[in-house]
Amino acid sequence: MKKSMFVCFILVALLASPLFAQGGGESASPKIGFMGPMTGDYANYGVRSNNSVIMAVEQFNAKGGFGGKVPVVLVSEDSEGNVEKGLSAIEKLSSADQIVGMIGPVLTGTSFAVGERVQSEGIVMISPSATHADITSIGDYVFRTVVSDGLQGEVAGNYFYSELGYRNIGVLYAKNDYSQGLYEGMTAAFEAAGGKVTIAESFQVGDKDFKTQLTKIRSANPEAIYIPNYTAEMAQILEQATQLGMDIPFLSCDGFSNPEIYDLAGDFTDGVIYVGPAKVKESPAYSDFVAQYEAKFGVGPDSFATNAYDGANILLQAMDKVYRETGKFNRAAIRDAVAATKDYPGVAGTINFAENGDLIAYQGLYKVNGTTPEYLGSYTVVDGVLTKVD
Amino acid sequence: MGIAEFFQHLMNGLTLGGIYALIALGYTMVYGILKFINFAHGDILMAGAYVGLFVFDGLRGDAPLGTWTLIAFFLAMLISMGFSAVLGMTIERVAYKPLRGANRLAPLLSAIGVSFILSNSAAWAFGTHSRKFNYPFDNTPVHIGEVVITPHQILILSVSLIMMIILKLFVDKTRMGKAMRATSLDQGTAMLMGINVNRVISMTFAIGSALAAVGGILIALDFKVYATMGTMTGLKAFVAAVVGGIGNISGAMFGGILLGLLETFGVAIFGIPTGLKDTIAFGVLILILLIKPEGLFGKVEKEKV
Repeated sequence: MKKSMFVCFILVALLASPLFAQGGGESASPKIGFMGPMTGDYANYGVRSNNSVIMAVEQFNAKGGFGGKVPVVLVSEDSEGNVEKGLSAIEKLSSADQIVGMIGPVLTGTSFAVGERVQSEGIVMISPSATHADITSIGDYVFRTVVSDGLQGEVAGNYFYSELGYRNIGVLYAKNDYSQGLYEGMTAAFEAAGGKVTIAESFQVGDKDFKTQLTKIRSANPEAIYIPNYTAEMAQILEQATQLGMDIPFLSCDGFSNPEIYDLAGDFTDGVIYVGPAKVKESPAYSDFVAQYEAKFGVGPDSFATNAYDGANILLQAMDKVYRETGKFNRAAIRDAVAATKDYPGVAGTINFAENGDLIAYQGLYKVNGTTPEYLGSYTVVDGVLTKVD
Repeated sequence: MGIAEFFQHLMNGLTLGGIYALIALGYTMVYGILKFINFAHGDILMAGAYVGLFVFDGLRGDAPLGTWTLIAFFLAMLISMGFSAVLGMTIERVAYKPLRGANRLAPLLSAIGVSFILSNSAAWAFGTHSRKFNYPFDNTPVHIGEVVITPHQILILSVSLIMMIILKLFVDKTRMGKAMRATSLDQGTAMLMGINVNRVISMTFAIGSALAAVGGILIALDFKVYATMGTMTGLKAFVAAVVGGIGNISGAMFGGILLGLLETFGVAIFGIPTGLKDTIAFGVLILILLIKPEGLFGKVEKEKV
C-alpha cells in the first residue's frame, strides 16, 4: 500500500512537472499528438514509431523550439490497434489536449476512423504507415509519409499504356487483398489513360491449375497479360501458358521481385516486365538516424519508425514556419504549411506530398532478361501523369 | 466459343480429371476393403512426391534430358512407391489398427490427425516453399491444329488408365484380390475361412499408398512439391471417388474425369466465375450425396472390391 502510494506520488509529480514548467512562463507551448498501438499484438509498430516522434521532439526542443524559444509538448495515446480506442483517444487529443497536429495512427483501420475525426476538427494528421489507397481520400487534413498501395497499380496502368503502348490487356489475379487491389488499381489507371482490360479472370489462393483461365484469356486475345500475384502462382501461370502454346507477353508486380520465381519457373521468365521497388540510395542522414535511434532505445527503427520520424519533423517544421510568420499556431495554417512541404530532406529520402496528401514516391520498372531482372528506371504518377524519375 | 477453344477446354478438363482419377483410385481401394476413408491419403502422396524429388535430383545430378533422366525418374518412382507403401502400412499399424473395433468415427478422426501430423512435419522438415520437380523428358507441347497438349498430360491420362486396369485385374483375378474381396464383405467370416485379415489390410494400405506415390510424383511435375500439396487435390479426389461410387475402381476413374470436365466446363461454358472453381467440386459432392448417395456406379454390390 505504502509502496503504491509512493509510486502514485512519483507519477503525479512526473506528470505535473511539464504543467508547472508551462505555467512558469511558456504559456503558449503547443501540443502535438501521437497515436498508435502501444500494447497488444501490434505494439511493436506503435512503440517504435512513438520512439521516433519522441526523438524528433527532443531534438527539436534541444535546438530551442519554435522561433528559438517555445518548446513543443508531445502527447502520446495508445490506440491498442483498435478503432474504438482510437476514436476516444482522438477525442481526448483534440478537446482536452488541444493538439494542433498529429503523427499517426499507425494502422490502416484506425487511420480511417481517426482520419474522419481530424478532418472535421481541422487537425492535420500525418500517418507513417497506413498504406490503403483510400486513406488520403478522407480529406485535405490527412497526409502520409508512406507509399500508397494505390501507387503501384497507378504506375503499372500508366506504364503499360504509354510506355509499352498496350491498348487491351488481360488480367489473371488471385482473390486476396493484395492481388485484387493491384488489379483494380492498374485497371483504373489503364482505362483512365484510354486502354481497356478486355478480360479479367480470378482464382483462389493456393490453386495450381490455371489452364481454364488461361484458355479463356487466350481466346480473348489481349496484347499482354497482367499477373499481380505471389511467386507460387506466377510460376504456375507462366509454365502453363507455355504448355498452352501461348506467346503473349506477361506483366507483373512487386511480387515478382522475389528471386524464388527463377527457381520455380526460370525457363519461362524471359521477357516479363514488372513493377517493383524503386532503387533507394543509402543516405548519411539515414545512417545517422539509425545510430541515434539505436543508441537511445536499444533497438533499431523499422520502416514505420523511419517514416514517423520524417513525419514528425515535417510537422514541426511547418509549425515553426507558421509561428515565425504569425506568432500563433493556427491549425489551418499548419495544414497548409505541411501541404506546401517542398523537397524535404527526410531520412527515408526526399519528401513531397501530392495534391491529395499522398507521399510522392517512386516505383521501379524491371524487364527480365533470361533470369536476370534489368532495371528500366523509376517512375511515379503526378496528378495522373506518368513521370520518369531517373 | 470457337471450336478450338472448346477442344482446348476439353483437353484441359480431361487431364485435370486424370489427376483426380489417379488419386481417387487409392482412396476408393482402401474404402472398398475397409469401409474407411483414409484422409491421410493426400499426405502420403505428398511424402511420396518429396522422396521421389530427392531421389530423382540425387540420381540425375547435372545430366541433361535423355535416357538417363528417364531411368532416374523410373527408379525414383519405384523407390518412392516402396517408401510410401511402408509408410502407409506403418500408419495403419500405429493409428488405425488399434481402433478397428471402435466406432466408425474414431479411425476417421485418427486419419485426420495423421494427415495433420504428416503435412506439419513436412513443413517443418522441408519448409513451406514450393520445390520444382524437373521434367525427366522434353515437355514441349504438341500442337494438333490449334489445340495444344503436352506429353505430360498424355502421360497422366495413360498412367491412370493403365493403373485402373491393373488394379481391377489384381482385385478380380488374383488370390490376394479374392482375399481382399472376402475381407471387404465380412472380416470375421474371412478370418474363419483362413484368410490372414491383418495381412490383407496391410497389403491394401501398401498398394493404396504406392498408388498415391505415383500420383504424387506425376502431379508434382506440373504442380510442384510442397507440404500441403495433398490437401486440396486429396479432397477433390475424395469427391471424385464418392461421385463414382466409393469403393468402385472404374467408378473412381470415371468420377475423376467427370469432375475435371465439370470444373473446366462449369467455368468455360456455364459462366461460373473462375474464383468459384473449387466450389463446383464440393457442390457436386453435396448433390451426389443428396440424390444418389451410393454414387453413379455404386449400385451393384459385387462390383465392389
